[in-house]
Amino acid sequence: MAAAAASTYKDRQFLAVIGDEDSVTGLLLAGIGHVTDPPDAQRNFLVVDAKTENSEVERAFKSFTEERKDIAVVLINQHIAERIRHSVDTFTEPFPAVLEIPSKDHPYDPEKDSVLKRVRRLFGE
Amino acid sequence: MSGAVGREPVFPTRQSLGLMKAKLKGAEVGHSLLKRKSEALTKRFREITRRIDEAKQKMGRVMQIAAFSLAEVSYAVGGDIGYQIQESAKQARFRVRAKNENVSGVYLPQFESYTEEGVNDFGLTGLGKGGQQIQRCRETYARAVETLVELASLQTAFLILDEVIKVVNRRDINSELDELDREEFYRLKKVSNKKQRDNAAADAEILAARERAAEKAAQNGTPPVAEAEEPETTDVLGEQEDNDVIF
Amino acid sequence: MEGLFFNVNGGYVEGIVRGYRNSLLTGQNYSNLTQCESIDDVKLQLGPSYGDFLATLPPNPSTSALAGKMTDKLVSEFRYLIAQSTGSTAKFLEYLTYGYMIDNIALLITGTLHERDTRELLERCHPLGWFETLPVLCVATNIEELYNSVLIETPLAPYFKGSLSHQDLDELNIEIVRNTLYKNYLEDFFNFVNTHPDFAGSPTQDVMSEILQFEADRRSINITLNSFGTELSKQERRKLYPEFGKLYPEGSLMLSRAEDVEGVALAVSAVADYKAFFDAVGLSQGGSGMGGMGGGPADGKSLEDLFYQKEMDMSKLVFTRQFTPAVVYGWMKLKEQEIRNVTWISECIAQNQKERIGNFISVF
Repeated sequence: MAAAAASTYKDRQFLAVIGDEDSVTGLLLAGIGHVTDPPDAQRNFLVVDAKTENSEVERAFKSFTEERKDIAVVLINQHIAERIRHSVDTFTEPFPAVLEIPSKDHPYDPEKDSVLKRVRRLFGE
Repeated sequence: MSGAVGREPVFPTRQSLGLMKAKLKGAEVGHSLLKRKSEALTKRFREITRRIDEAKQKMGRVMQIAAFSLAEVSYAVGGDIGYQIQESAKQARFRVRAKNENVSGVYLPQFESYTEEGVNDFGLTGLGKGGQQIQRCRETYARAVETLVELASLQTAFLILDEVIKVVNRRDINSELDELDREEFYRLKKVSNKKQRDNAAADAEILAARERAAEKAAQNGTPPVAEAEEPETTDVLGEQEDNDVIF
Repeated sequence: MEGLFFNVNGGYVEGIVRGYRNSLLTGQNYSNLTQCESIDDVKLQLGPSYGDFLATLPPNPSTSALAGKMTDKLVSEFRYLIAQSTGSTAKFLEYLTYGYMIDNIALLITGTLHERDTRELLERCHPLGWFETLPVLCVATNIEELYNSVLIETPLAPYFKGSLSHQDLDELNIEIVRNTLYKNYLEDFFNFVNTHPDFAGSPTQDVMSEILQFEADRRSINITLNSFGTELSKQERRKLYPEFGKLYPEGSLMLSRAEDVEGVALAVSAVADYKAFFDAVGLSQGGSGMGGMGGGPADGKSLEDLFYQKEMDMSKLVFTRQFTPAVVYGWMKLKEQEIRNVTWISECIAQNQKERIGNFISVF
């Protein structure tokens, strides 16, 4: 198990983010933004607003978690994770780590976090 | 699981008594080793879950402070810099690397954040106005992301340990069994649905099918149960009836 | 004497603006706002001065939505003014929109450089910086086309001419483009209020010169401070300083040579106001350097806060003068500050950071 994991995380050096404009702007200011070399020039962030379709969020989540092998941590605003809750809950691989983060307008609610839910279930709470 | 079913078939001789004693001892040593390993892991596991809880609370605060520093930027710049920032992002300055930590033979990866020097996508943003606030905001967010990375490490460790402890400990054997039961029940329901439909078919056909199935089983030497999931093999489902009753 | 004919063309506009000025939030309004518990309360408090504009907001709107609606009111009032004005007053008001145009064009250039859908960009443009040919910019698919066929048609064309070629747009950082345009704009505006026959020797020349000089100096100082630690060279930096103002030419020269905050403090020390600012925030004491800004000065005011404060004082003083369209400028700056103030207060309320809520500038 440990040996298998070693090969899967070695090349993972970026963070990715799916969030509202402010969260993405802030995290990009921290310097996590990365665009891969052309021609495909993929961004590692997605700004979600009221007009963004759930399918697009879903697609970005899939791309960050399954297709790209260079991402170590996926940050996603909790209220956006709610929109694709099923995908977030069913993603149980250790890599990349999926982290639900609060946004300016939506404070963090531990009740909805899929990992914390798992923690609580394990301890039968 | 105990009783006649689980008992090993032993022929009562002194030699096999000796053998069985050695076996028992081996099993006991193995068990205590596993138990110790499992205890070490569980201890670590509990510690991690506690720290996750803490770290998630901390994250809430840290992100709030960071979000507020962005509000200061909007105040100073007097407008929205989001789009420009998104377009200027090219190379990640903030990255992570993974290293291993060994806990009782289990390797837990730890993300460690580092700064890629020489990358500065937003150096001139806010040049005429608000540059100082933007600089401060960048630092605040960088610190916030460090906290997030810490949390990500804990979370990954949690997921891996959870998996490992499951294997070592069979801690949640009951939940696994429950799961199996549910699957089995669902399968039975499916089977009975199918059967009701098939009952409409002639008895003779069923009989013929049974004969063929018996022949097939004899040839392959495999029990037909393995194929029970496949819907088109109605003949096998016929056989299945007896097995299901045992469950 | 200047009052003799001003009112023929400009009197109505000036009267309207003085009316607008009276609806600006006062210290009493602000102290009510800071007591609010939610954005809905803020909305309620803003009712008398913003009225209908806030009516379409959903319950507990986001701060950016609130700010957007407040800006809408500013825009619609300004549009009314510009529609009512003629001659030199109209030209003066047009000048006020160029600053926003520069931001819009910088936005569109950024989008075109990255081959984004420019239609989406139009929604992000500031409505005051809107001009007829702005949507045409979307037609351009590359920078050369943008420059040759579209930018030439904009009111900003003279600001590009001689300073920026289309190669520059491709290679230069958008911030340098923006600040070059802004420098040219300020110089042009300054020239306009000083040489236009309607304004020369009038109160407009008096107050606007002072305001624009301050604006020029503020930009030079900010650019210098913000360039430390970036790849912007001293030569490039110098090209961005407007060539007028209280600091020009000696102070500008010293600024262009400054290597650190102390250097900047020294360069501005000849002007009493700026020296006082640097002393107040403790930047001229030396030692702390840029790091000192992270901690912030004791009373929570940054250099930019002091600049804003000064700008507001000047804008308020404009209203002591008569027979000048400069009151429109003053009103616009006051209104913008008001929007920033309310946004700040709402942000503090929404994010539960009440201890910093007093950090705004109340003028009246």
